[in-house]
Amino acid sequence: MRKPSVKGLSVGRLIRIEFRQRRTQMISGLLAITLGIAVIVAIRSISLVSEKAVAINLDNLGANVLVLPQGATVDNYYTADIDAPTLPEEYAETIATSDLTGVDNMSPKLTRRVNVNGEKIVLTGILPKNELVSKPIWKRSGLFGKGLKASCGPSPLNESHGYKDEKLQRKSIEALAEYDCLVGATAAQKLHLKENSNLTIEGKSFRVEKVLPETGTVDDDRVFAHLHTVQRLLGIGSQVSAIEIMGCCNAITDGLLSKLRNILPDTRVTTIGQIVSTQVQTNKLMKKLSVVFLIIIVFVGAVSIGNSMWANVNERKKEIGTLRMIGFPKTSVYRMILTKAMVLGLAGGVLGYAIGSMAAMWLGPEFAGIEVSPTLMLLPASVALSTAVAAIGAAIPAYFAGRIEPFDNMQEN
Amino acid sequence: MLTLKNVTKTYRHSDGDVYALRDIDLTIGAGDFITVTGGSGSGKTTLLLCMAGLMRPTSGTITFGDRKIETATDKELSAYRSKHIGFVMQSFALIPYLTAIENVMLPLAVPGAGRTDQVSAATDLLQLVGLENRRNHLPRELSAGQQQRVAVARAMINEPSLILADEPTGNLDPALSGEIMQLFTEINKQRGVTIVMVTHSPAAAAYGNRNIRLAEGRILAGA
Ligand SMILES: Nc1ncnc2c1ncn2[C@@H]1O[C@H](COP(=O)(O)OP(=O)(O)O)[C@@H](O)[C@H]1O
Ligand SMILES: [Mg+2]
Repeated sequence: MRKPSVKGLSVGRLIRIEFRQRRTQMISGLLAITLGIAVIVAIRSISLVSEKAVAINLDNLGANVLVLPQGATVDNYYTADIDAPTLPEEYAETIATSDLTGVDNMSPKLTRRVNVNGEKIVLTGILPKNELVSKPIWKRSGLFGKGLKASCGPSPLNESHGYKDEKLQRKSIEALAEYDCLVGATAAQKLHLKENSNLTIEGKSFRVEKVLPETGTVDDDRVFAHLHTVQRLLGIGSQVSAIEIMGCCNAITDGLLSKLRNILPDTRVTTIGQIVSTQVQTNKLMKKLSVVFLIIIVFVGAVSIGNSMWANVNERKKEIGTLRMIGFPKTSVYRMILTKAMVLGLAGGVLGYAIGSMAAMWLGPEFAGIEVSPTLMLLPASVALSTAVAAIGAAIPAYFAGRIEPFDNMQEN
Repeated sequence: MLTLKNVTKTYRHSDGDVYALRDIDLTIGAGDFITVTGGSGSGKTTLLLCMAGLMRPTSGTITFGDRKIETATDKELSAYRSKHIGFVMQSFALIPYLTAIENVMLPLAVPGAGRTDQVSAATDLLQLVGLENRRNHLPRELSAGQQQRVAVARAMINEPSLILADEPTGNLDPALSGEIMQLFTEINKQRGVTIVMVTHSPAAAAYGNRNIRLAEGRILAGA
């Protein structure tokens, strides 16, 4: 029995009381739409962040040509799986000693997911001096640079990114000793590290030379150490995951890529442009996937809410008949059913957004190798979609509810 | 107050049309307490449904004051029921998850019924039917007689000019029937509410001041 304080009745209060009465029925109607919205939100959250992350990453790479091992995907390049393919470090020398023109700078890198103080962290081995010139981002201020543009040499890029204190930057990286490391902002937070803290990477003790300022890229989650230390630590020999090259754009159009391919057997030489187009394709796929799910959600969600409202209307035929008898017009009954469905839709949208965001935060690092934070922008969209779907699903039951006549109550003898 | 002229109602059926009402002419005056009797299937319920605007007659006219009932829209009919009619059914027709007082207030939740003192009006009526100490009970926590008294209070809450009752004592034993009939008499005499009551029971029919007998959809005697 409810508490004795008596309030007047209104249509809204009637709906609330009835909701409480049929909690399980309502919750079961909520399930499908909540899950559906959660799936869409998870996909969209991950892909939005991944789009942004990759765009920023490529923008900030400071390189416009990538030399990857044959068979490596751009994904390998970012996720740093333990068995990702590698290529010989000496290829960097091959490039440097060749008569190729248009290579302004390069940076061989080895990237692996390792155990740092008990956390899975991506460790990147770099050659300090080289890394510096083709990578101006560590002193950048804004999150979004200009659009991707193959530039000639690091200077215009540096300018556009407001990178000034080159000497200081150079010094800090040149000073990177055998067991020193640089820690990205997010990684530092996660591992509770400060300058001069100690950390253990794969059983070896390192000192934090510097915590890098936040860049909004995957680098924030990474720990950087000397390439050769990393190679030794992981027993990888003189191998690297990729060589980032800053090439002059004229040289690139003049066939720098094919020349590189000629002198570097068993590699995949690709430009940022190609990576971008690969990424664009991936994003297109994700969008298609979202659309597919969207269609499924509209159908399954609408049917599920419709089904639940149908059951509700059916078992309330007598009640609805009574309401009609005492003067509730058809439109009012119709509206009551729709309102209930839309409240369900609203709840499904909010719940689905919450669950989907949490799923994305959990799945993002696990499967896509990126940190995902909730995209608030998706909340109103989820709620709107879910409410609309619920209204569509409830339209038919509501229509029939409006048509219920009170005869059941009266012609029973 | 309520006038029926040449009202005929047929139900379509695969075995041919069923005549539920045939050429009913009936005038109900303000303050009447009319009892309607007749065998099962004689058309009593159909007659009430037509009066309430819950069913359209196949032919004939029904007027309430100067309002045409048989051609009114759903919105108009709903407003008509909400403002002027109270209902008491054999099966009580209470909402199972609403308390006694909430059931009584329900007609005031109709959009446009507009009365602000819902709780005190409902409390007064529960007092009238002797259930003021049961106001927070759910229907299933009340006896049949008490449920029907809640239904009577609900029929009164909108201060109707006409109460339509379909076998209100059909589910009650004679003692409880007597209590309900006392209530109706009081409502009719002291509050001047017109009552049309369908009943099987001659004892109940005796409370009215005018009786209508139906057989096969026709009025036999009394009118
Ligand atoms: N919905 C319906 N469809 C077909 N026939 C009906 C319907 N309702 C009632 N009838 C028929 O109409 C006649 C009158 O019914 P009713 O008004 O319920 O009688 P009463 O209330 O006097 O028992 C009966 O013959 C009944 O079988
Ligand atoms: Mg009947």
